[in-house]
Amino acid sequence: MIVIKPKKYFEVCVEAELTPELATKSVEEVKKFKIYYGNRVVELGELFEVEKIGEEKKLVLDGDFSRVKWIGARMVDGEILVKGSVGANCGAFMKGGRIIVEGNADDWLGIEMAGGEIIVKGNAGNLVGCAYYGDAVGMTAGKILIEGNAGNYIGEKMNGGEIVIKGNAGDFVGTEMRAGVIEIHGSCGFVGGDMRGGEIRIKGSFELLPTFKKTEKGWVGDVNVKGEGVIKSL
Amino acid sequence: MLWIKNGIVVDPKNKIKAEKMDIFVKNGKIVSEKEVKKEECKVIDASGKLVVAGGVDMHAHIAGSKINTGRTMRPEEMRVVRNIAGKFRATVGRVLLTAPAIGYEYAKMGYTTSFEAAQPPVGALHTHEELDAIPMIDKGALPVFGNWHLVFKCIEEKNIEKLKALIAWAIERTKGFGVKVVNPGGVEAWMYGGNVKSLDDQVPGFNVTPREIITMLIKANEELGLPHSVHLHCNNLGVPGNFQTTIESIKLAKGFSNSKRQVLHVTHVQFNAYAGSSWRDAASGAAEIAKVVNSMDNVTIDMGQPIFGHATAMTGDAPFQFTLHKLTGARWSNKDTEVETGAGIVPLVYLPNNPVHALQWAIGLELGLLVDSNKVALTTDYPNGGPFTEYPYVMAMLMSKKMREGELSRVNAYVQKATGLASIDVEKTLYEVIHMTRSLPARILGLENKGHLGIGADADIAIYNLNPLETDTSRDFEKVYKAFKVAEYTIKAGEIISKNGEIVNEVFGRTFWVDARKKADIEAVMKDVKDYFQYYSVQLGNYGVEERWIRKPERLEVV
Repeated sequence: MIVIKPKKYFEVCVEAELTPELATKSVEEVKKFKIYYGNRVVELGELFEVEKIGEEKKLVLDGDFSRVKWIGARMVDGEILVKGSVGANCGAFMKGGRIIVEGNADDWLGIEMAGGEIIVKGNAGNLVGCAYYGDAVGMTAGKILIEGNAGNYIGEKMNGGEIVIKGNAGDFVGTEMRAGVIEIHGSCGFVGGDMRGGEIRIKGSFELLPTFKKTEKGWVGDVNVKGEGVIKSL
Repeated sequence: MLWIKNGIVVDPKNKIKAEKMDIFVKNGKIVSEKEVKKEECKVIDASGKLVVAGGVDMHAHIAGSKINTGRTMRPEEMRVVRNIAGKFRATVGRVLLTAPAIGYEYAKMGYTTSFEAAQPPVGALHTHEELDAIPMIDKGALPVFGNWHLVFKCIEEKNIEKLKALIAWAIERTKGFGVKVVNPGGVEAWMYGGNVKSLDDQVPGFNVTPREIITMLIKANEELGLPHSVHLHCNNLGVPGNFQTTIESIKLAKGFSNSKRQVLHVTHVQFNAYAGSSWRDAASGAAEIAKVVNSMDNVTIDMGQPIFGHATAMTGDAPFQFTLHKLTGARWSNKDTEVETGAGIVPLVYLPNNPVHALQWAIGLELGLLVDSNKVALTTDYPNGGPFTEYPYVMAMLMSKKMREGELSRVNAYVQKATGLASIDVEKTLYEVIHMTRSLPARILGLENKGHLGIGADADIAIYNLNPLETDTSRDFEKVYKAFKVAEYTIKAGEIISKNGEIVNEVFGRTFWVDARKKADIEAVMKDVKDYFQYYSVQLGNYGVEERWIRKPERLEVV
């Protein structure tokens, strides 16, 4: 297990693809891992303290990582525990393993994720599980659980997997969604625009577009794109 | 001063078929041995290597609002990093490249000239700003005329003098190079949600037909004597059965002649060479088109060869782009360019196992093989058919039946029954392919100092690691492809700009434009121009581009 602590407050964002893979390396190797501090390439040891405890494939990020982007990006196995908040693009393109965030997560959480699990104890930002700029397909598999609230564009272009939000969400949930499940235990804004498939379950109130038809399965649409997505109450 | 020693020169314009000879360069031009002091020359040893003129791309979309909108709507294209900022500029792009990347990639491949093939006249300033941002190559732009209300008015009135005046005025204002015509009348019909289906359909709101537009523009172009002929993107592009329209359009050139060049260039013909009645029974019409083109001595074409992989369809043919968007379900951007033209953009991927894509790929090659190599230039209609960086693939394919057989086995079998590609035994020679990529496009554009290595030509030279005397282009296709992909040396105006695929020197080329004002009475059209400016978003005084705004303008005056 590798424990990483920030040495200072970061003036600009850090971009660091920190994955459990680091736990298989020695402390010296981890300290030499290349990351971006603003537009400069620096070694991880310059900005963070590193400690190794045992051989478990686990990364513990101890402190405020809200200005560190791309944590857990492309990870395939192992576990990351963040004892604070994380910056944008956490868990992007991840294929397996688990990320637990005890604080909040910024935008682009779990984008185009293809497996594994992300648990956020606090709130999440916008664009959870959606497609990266210009790509046609968002999250395809895996699970994202957010215990607090989330922002706009949750599960945009989602094509599989599951997103569960215990609190409220913003507008445009499941826009252009093709498959998978989004579950919102609170309330949210507009839902399912141009939805082709998949299911959105909502406990609280939400805004429905006029392009959904009421059936015994729930609200089916979006008829504008001949979609067969389902929106129903939890 | 440069002395390129012992290279094997292939120079089709000067009828040099693989001869060992020396080339001398002074002040950016190719000169005779007498004019240089050999001891002062930088010597390049080209023993056993192929020495040819720098490549000329006569039809690509490299600058202006279309490619820029394409870049905006395709952020995923910008994830491929090609060069990190340092001595040279940072460049990114998969197929849609940033402006410096376009210059660098052409240079690495041994190309030194490229022309933007469709410039909306009112967007000329943007086009030239972007052309100015492209390093390494010489360039120019062709403004579009085929859907301009004022052009329609001149044709309606059958007033050739007025049309000539308009063309001369517009080309000067836009610092353009020639007359491009995109789906004549069709883009105007699209403003009402329609298109034109044949050469004799009336354009909505005007008493003109595509046939009249093309014929009158050819007549005006020839009377003005512009260096380049009318450059036509035919009607019905991308519609199965359209090869008939293409043939009819080509035949409109009958009755015109020019001793120096063609009177009509039909572009990216692959997109206009489909037989059949729908995509279910579409087939190749390339053989019929080739027969017609070969039988005429005043028409040239270019291929518009698709390359498997990513591409972005972008044309001034707005209705076609909408059809494509409906067909593929991909993103779509549309533009109505004031009273002049329109445009559309749709992302695209050519897949070998898709029957339609495989058909398009085969038709492009058929055109390249069946049409006389003195009449067909090599293009991919970048980025419509794919990246220009794959020209070496097309070159190698044209030269090797064996390579084509290998490629045919991995594409959808539909091409076997819908095209004749498998039965074509033609293997173009290296000499012919060098002509199709250098001297021919230069001749088509009317650039006398480009595309050859004769005395007085621009010193744009490419040296490839390929010995034409010892290479069997039919058998060693992999070697040919690799050699043309990366030039050992690319020389632009006498300066070495790229060496073995590494940029060594950043230079900025010239922008060619044509001044034909002396050949027409501009005043004949100015009253109408002033009238029409009530419909424009800009004032007449702010319209167009001044020569001093361009980095390195090169005026070609027609007298």
